[in-house]
Amino acid sequence: MPHDIQTAGRVAPPEATRLETSRPAIDSPGLDTRPPSSGATRPAGAGSDLPAGSMPFPELVEREASSSPDEAELRELAAGLDRLQTDETRRESRWRRFWSGVLPPVILIVVLLVVWQVYTVVARPRPDLYPGPVEVFTAIGAAWESGRLQLAVTTSLERGVIGFLIAVAIGTPIGLALAEVGWLRRAFGPFVSGLQVLPSVAWVPAAIIWFGLSDATVYFVILMGAVPSIINGLISGVNQVPPQLRRVGRVLGANRSQLATLVVLPAALPGYVGGLKQGWAFSWRSLMAAEIIATGGSIGFGLGALLDQGRQLADLSAVFVAILVILFVGILVELAIFAPIERALLRRRGLLQEGTR
Amino acid sequence: MSRQTVIRIDGLGKRFGERAPLVLDDVTLHVEEGEFVCLLGASGCGKSTLLNLIAGLDRPSTGTIEVPADGAAVMFQESALMPWLSARRNVELALKLRGVPRAERRAKALELLDVVNLADAAEKRPHELSGGMRQRVALARALAQDRKVLLMDEPFAALDAITRDLLHEELERVWRETGRTIVFVTHNVREAARLGERVVLLSSRPGRVAGEWRLDASGPRRIESPEVSAVSIEITERLRKEIARNAA
Repeated sequence: MPHDIQTAGRVAPPEATRLETSRPAIDSPGLDTRPPSSGATRPAGAGSDLPAGSMPFPELVEREASSSPDEAELRELAAGLDRLQTDETRRESRWRRFWSGVLPPVILIVVLLVVWQVYTVVARPRPDLYPGPVEVFTAIGAAWESGRLQLAVTTSLERGVIGFLIAVAIGTPIGLALAEVGWLRRAFGPFVSGLQVLPSVAWVPAAIIWFGLSDATVYFVILMGAVPSIINGLISGVNQVPPQLRRVGRVLGANRSQLATLVVLPAALPGYVGGLKQGWAFSWRSLMAAEIIATGGSIGFGLGALLDQGRQLADLSAVFVAILVILFVGILVELAIFAPIERALLRRRGLLQEGTR
Repeated sequence: MSRQTVIRIDGLGKRFGERAPLVLDDVTLHVEEGEFVCLLGASGCGKSTLLNLIAGLDRPSTGTIEVPADGAAVMFQESALMPWLSARRNVELALKLRGVPRAERRAKALELLDVVNLADAAEKRPHELSGGMRQRVALARALAQDRKVLLMDEPFAALDAITRDLLHEELERVWRETGRTIVFVTHNVREAARLGERVVLLSSRPGRVAGEWRLDASGPRRIESPEVSAVSIEITERLRKEIARNAA
């Protein structure tokens, strides 16, 4: 040992008594009149959540009795600095947020409808080729009264949702496996990306030959559309997990499956939800394509069929009705389901800037 | 001195690959139970390599290393808290992975957060906490691992000076309260002199033990204390010599 300096000229006490005698003796003559319980020296409120009587860490509790005025001072200092360094986060009121989110698109839609109506009134285009808003709304009313609209929406929505849920159940484990196992990913990654690029409508002819005009055809096409998106979303979510979180997980003693379920999966959740959102979009699109092409047989009457019926009757108002309803359902699912989930996720992680969404 | 040796490193050498240059060369270091050792060195001294070896994340090329069988708790420069969990749940995660039954986790986590003076912030998420508070949560999480040895890899390097100063005091207090053995890696001479009972200076390329200083940790110390300054000056001089050697 080249250097050995006792800076204060004092010899460190032997091990057994080190902790007890090492309290600063200079400035704390009040050390002997220490409070009976450490709780008394804490600032009000601190530690009040602790259940009385539980002592899971005996070695800590025991030594806490050595709380000195020094420690109270340190606590106060820390509390002051903490207060200085954290901002109170102010949240916009729910009501205000609702209006700031809903009002702009509503105003836009109203403006578009007015422009459309003014155009039909002023330019007087052929009503069978360019129906105005009034004709379309009348057609909506007619479709509603005949019950076809409700039937089509419920049939398609039910299929879309069931197909999407099956796609989630299939895509999630595959995505996790591809994300975590290197050679699987190298083997199947390009294949999955390719499937995502391939329009799932391309599967309709094959599906009809395999499954006939049945619901199986529709579900098959939905799955081919949605599963690759969900897999890729999960993979990119896992890719974005900061490596230090994995390292901490391992240091904390997580085994492989614990690391996946307690660290990687929750950390990848924003990317995963992004993938689910895209997966839903692909489900809905694929469903519409399948319903337009494959009609009849045991396939029920969905929105795609409604659209196709409008085409066959050369009833452009009915076609517009179907398009608007398909669009509306898509927007509704996005706004009512995915947007709140994404928002909550991002807010929990401090990734959401208030007022930007 | 009858303290038990918990980390015993003898003639340790480490190189990454057969032909690669030595990162650590003939490092001998014994750390006793409850000791606070600061490893100090410039860039390239293999501090992090040494920590990884002590943590059991890597194996030595030559020499021997004996560490507690259950491994060591580790704290990093970045707090690396799970951003989706509250402070309390972050600590609970460590307890869960240690195998603490669910019913006890909450109370233990709150108790540990109280040790680092963060009982009030238990339900806050990491993004709502300041950098210093996050490091304290990380410290509570490291304590939750309940290992004898706590390895700290430049844990306060990214903090501002005022916060760092306060955290030095907090860490010293936690060390006294819990009796942990702490190996603290830093490139800040004053920090090492402020905190350690022993400061071990590592030379760079390859990392060797270039000097050792023992300090009296029994009394109150501040980063401004004259003793700390005196030792800092001496260590700095030695450190500069070691760095200058690399210019040749």
